[in-house]
Amino acid sequence: MSFRIMWSNQTFPPTLIMSSITLRVEFGGGLELLFSNIKQHKLTLPSIVPSNNGTKLNGEVLSGGETKPADVEYLMHHLRDNLLQERPELFMEDNTVRPGILVLINDTDWELEGEGEYALKDNDEVVFISTLHGG
Amino acid sequence: MSADACGNPAVETEATMDRRLKYDRSKACIKCKINAGRIVVRHAVYCKDCFPTLLSTKVKRSLEPHINPRTELSRRKSLKASGNLLIGFSGGLGSTVLLDLISKIYLSNRNELRPQDPTDGKARGGKDHPRNEPVWQKASMTDRGDEIKSLMQDKYQNLELIALRLEDAFDRKWWDQVGGRASTDVAIDVTNEDLYSRSISTSDMSDPIQKLRSYLSALPTHTAIDNAIRTLTRLLLLHTARRTQSSHLLLGTSLTSLSIRLISSISEGGGFAIREEAQEEWHPGNSSSSLPIRLIRPMQEITMKECSLWAWWNDLYVIGKEKRPGGKQGIAALTKDFIVGLERDYPSTVSTIARTCAKLAPKAEAVGSCILCERPLQPGVQEWKSRISIRATAPSSPSSAPVLRSLAPLLCYSCHTSLTSRSSKSISTKSENSPTPLPFWASAHLNALNTVNAKDEGGDVWITRRVGHNEMKGAIGEFLLE
Repeated sequence: MSFRIMWSNQTFPPTLIMSSITLRVEFGGGLELLFSNIKQHKLTLPSIVPSNNGTKLNGEVLSGGETKPADVEYLMHHLRDNLLQERPELFMEDNTVRPGILVLINDTDWELEGEGEYALKDNDEVVFISTLHGG
Repeated sequence: MSADACGNPAVETEATMDRRLKYDRSKACIKCKINAGRIVVRHAVYCKDCFPTLLSTKVKRSLEPHINPRTELSRRKSLKASGNLLIGFSGGLGSTVLLDLISKIYLSNRNELRPQDPTDGKARGGKDHPRNEPVWQKASMTDRGDEIKSLMQDKYQNLELIALRLEDAFDRKWWDQVGGRASTDVAIDVTNEDLYSRSISTSDMSDPIQKLRSYLSALPTHTAIDNAIRTLTRLLLLHTARRTQSSHLLLGTSLTSLSIRLISSISEGGGFAIREEAQEEWHPGNSSSSLPIRLIRPMQEITMKECSLWAWWNDLYVIGKEKRPGGKQGIAALTKDFIVGLERDYPSTVSTIARTCAKLAPKAEAVGSCILCERPLQPGVQEWKSRISIRATAPSSPSSAPVLRSLAPLLCYSCHTSLTSRSSKSISTKSENSPTPLPFWASAHLNALNTVNAKDEGGDVWITRRVGHNEMKGAIGEFLLE
């Protein structure tokens, strides 16, 4: 279950800004072609993010709305908005990954981990593999 | 589901249905019940240790009952094939995983295996099939032959590679190599629904690539092009299987791919031969051996997701397939989008498609085989088509080239529709005067039929061909009233 923190004041807590998690993200099955043809990426994400998965992280955005711990759904939005080079429709569809993309969280099928709702932890490894190679 | 599971949205605005888990019971592996699960396959959870066993069991279950010449329903210990083994390898995910699985299941721990020359006179087939036999692969139609070659050299040194290209279907050298019947080149007129054929001299069009381009550019829709490429690939492999004295041809069609093929094949008018999409027995036209070649898809119980994870965990290099420009608009691509989406949300339904289609059988007996795709020919196709369609054929002058016959009665519904069905988005720019060459096997069938007709002096010979107005008038002139 995810918890929600409501910020009613305009001041963004400094502790929240400082708190971040480091992730390893890898693309396979040709999906890396959408991400500058780089397979492995190391990312640093804030540990608390907007519930609407807005990726323009600044005090203004966070202070005005609901927040949640950074999860895989947010990670997908972050990848789309910051790393994706072309054709976002080939990566995401309806707030989740496009059908045909397999996601592994720490080498485990994300369907066992709660899919997009999985709360990311420091040093997690998330892999996105396109299964649409044909064959 | 009980009423408590989800509230009444009309009363409780916050009420939402509990999200259904993608797996049954617990996260522990359902096989060993000890390890934590790593993959969910149609609601069942497997660990990384049990996953290889799962895949190899599925492959064996699909393949081994068909290895012996006589199909056995029960599993047998002694496997004895009548010929060699050919594996179709396109560089795509399915065939990459198939090659790896077959290699691991049947070829691992066989140190005596070394690259072998097919002409060394070594006895093939027999009790050790397919374990100690050279295995051939098919190169992709795209220009990735070098990649495939180096992959074979690096990973599968004990296998022999036979590269095939799509244009080989129009190459006389290849046709002679596979032992095809001598035949003249035949071209058809795709602007007419009767598909009149005529022989062309080799000097008119000798380059196989040019012939392939001419053939594909004559097709009226993207769906027809996809269909033609699939048929060419399948027949190239089957004829190569005959050449290599193979009794079995294995393709890496996954459960997902099979379901896509089944639905799109029915949509394209191939319902009569729906069983052949899953498995078929191909009888070479002039075969000296009496046994057919079995085309088997050993991965037809393995989903694309399982293939993908297997490739990832085993660090398999998937070369991938080139996307054909415009292919997205075809029935096959649209069906693929639908089935892949369905598999994510309702994975069992995809399996249901394959299982349901496996129960289908045509009502009528086939009346031979289509000369283009060599699949069963449904009787009465043209009669039925003439009843259900309104046609307006533009008048055209007969060609001076020697006329053979109409191809329409010799084609299955799917092939005939592919060649002739035009839509508002028709892409073909063919004119009547530019002939469309046929693959060599189709020309050979046509030549053989004409020879048989010529020899059949005692009976009536019915040939549909186009005649000019003067010739027509001359034939019925004496019956005309002035």
